[in-house]
Amino acid sequence: MLIDKYIAGRAGLLVGLGLVLLLLSGCATTRLNAARDAFYAGQPGKSIDLLSEDGGFPSRERLLLFTERGMAYHRLGEYAKSVVELRRAADLMAAQEVISLSQQASSLVTTEWATEYKGEYCERLWVHTYLMMNYLLLYQYEDALVEAKQALKIQAGHEEALRQDYFTRALIALCYENLREYNDAYIEYKRLAELLPSPQPVAADLYRLALRLGFADEAAQYGQYLTAGEQASAARPAAELVLFVGLGRGPVKVPGNVVVPPSIRFSFPMYRDRPGGAFDLQPVVPAEPMASAIATDLGVVARAALDDRKAAMLVKETARVASKEALARAAGRNGGDAAEILVRAAFFVLEEPDTRGWETLPARLLLLRLALDPEQPEVAVRIIGRHGESIERAVLSDLALRSGQRVYRSLRY
Amino acid sequence: MHTFMRRLGCLVLAVVVLGFTNACTVTTREVASDEKVIYDEGYHFSDKKSIVRALVDSLLTKSPLAGATDRPVVIVYGVANRTSEHISTSAITDDIRQALLASGKVRFVNETQRENIAKEMDYQHYGGMVNPETMIAKGRQVGARYMLTGTLRSMEKEQGRQVRLKKKSLNYYSLNLELTELESSLIEWADSAEVIREASKPFIGW
Repeated sequence: MLIDKYIAGRAGLLVGLGLVLLLLSGCATTRLNAARDAFYAGQPGKSIDLLSEDGGFPSRERLLLFTERGMAYHRLGEYAKSVVELRRAADLMAAQEVISLSQQASSLVTTEWATEYKGEYCERLWVHTYLMMNYLLLYQYEDALVEAKQALKIQAGHEEALRQDYFTRALIALCYENLREYNDAYIEYKRLAELLPSPQPVAADLYRLALRLGFADEAAQYGQYLTAGEQASAARPAAELVLFVGLGRGPVKVPGNVVVPPSIRFSFPMYRDRPGGAFDLQPVVPAEPMASAIATDLGVVARAALDDRKAAMLVKETARVASKEALARAAGRNGGDAAEILVRAAFFVLEEPDTRGWETLPARLLLLRLALDPEQPEVAVRIIGRHGESIERAVLSDLALRSGQRVYRSLRY
Repeated sequence: MHTFMRRLGCLVLAVVVLGFTNACTVTTREVASDEKVIYDEGYHFSDKKSIVRALVDSLLTKSPLAGATDRPVVIVYGVANRTSEHISTSAITDDIRQALLASGKVRFVNETQRENIAKEMDYQHYGGMVNPETMIAKGRQVGARYMLTGTLRSMEKEQGRQVRLKKKSLNYYSLNLELTELESSLIEWADSAEVIREASKPFIGW
């Protein structure tokens, strides 16, 4: 009975704490949303200003602060600054591996927003994906390979959930290839060939590396996917433009609710796509794609990553509902019906699913490799919408490469 | 029961206050350069010291440098980082160069300052500001006989996913160095030094 009274006495405190947390999160969300709006309005600089740390950003959402700023700097073409922000995100992710008892306990009786945001598995992977891109754009190949290895670690930990992120795996292979780690590059391309619906997009890479490594049988196997001309050009070094293309707006988390009478609310986040905008990119002659583009649909990967931790989410949600129910009943026994109704109503409102996420990610990531004629100064590309409509035409200039030279560009539409 | 709850509450409060007090106190301590300070399973400055020492000893006591009497000229082309950490390998080459120079057995071409050396040469010869008598002669730089290169590698192994309070990991670092004679392209000396470290990290914290 005394314990009952004690618990009932704390119910009010917990409700208050939860509401404060929600209010504080609301302030951070407002700033984040304003920064995201600026980003999508083509003002990444303003987005960075809005997320300046001096503004006292809550520590629970620090990961989002770093990732959103990293993305904004990437879009501005300030890759070194993007590296700084995303490395801070990566360091934070490493520190977050320790489960905080205090945060878990408080979230059990309030809301998931009481915990520090750790990012979905896919977001943790994409921090390293963007770091890889940044380092490649800065021609820091050793650092890019370090990030590739970090990405591999995350992929190995959540293989099934992340298997459809073809873009990141292609990038990892490229990082190995740049440093002449041909055997590792071959392994990654081969894994990609197994994961893709068809090995065709990586057949030229596998053919080239198999020849170099002396794997005659496998060179013949992958050579089948190439014409004689493609085989000849795969075997000799070309001037190459590597395009990293982010298209559209990535998926966002929205709340999903199941209400059990009288007032038990199960809530969980789910991903919703944001259709519209750019969907594809095609080079305009005279650039010749070396192979089909390798694309990742971020919505598909994000949903798979969320599904992967559904069981854990369900267990925690059930525990939270049970503890809230116990608190409400204890409040009823000690404070009467009015107190129970009040506590139940407050808990119902508090039961907000954690819909935090990295929202400036694109809907699709495309890796396009184009063979250029030596000294060819520019390449034109066409940005295409979901229904095949032409959205924009862009010209990439200052290319003029030597044979065997590889340059990188990042585009976002 | 009520008294028990009150005491428990006081105890928790006292622990929290103590924790905060401790966390808010800034403490510093001087660390000797040869002291081994290791926080986790990652690469540390003391690892650099131990592997550099081992390799420099090997380089100076084995052929071809052990028997060399003419202080052969060496160029350092850096150590490639093939680990999964962002490690500045130039710090390794700096230490190696410093230890070898201190031995007095070799001389080094300053590869990293080539651009600046060329710039200074141009200034002296074409700037019109330098007294011709003090001008440095062109075409007198010394060609290197040996090239020193290397690779820093790592391998990591973590315990699989299972219910436990701590996670163990094993990290292996290896630095391989090679001394290549430039004229013949022959590797005249090669050796490696290793550091293997096991660490365990808690899964749960406050």
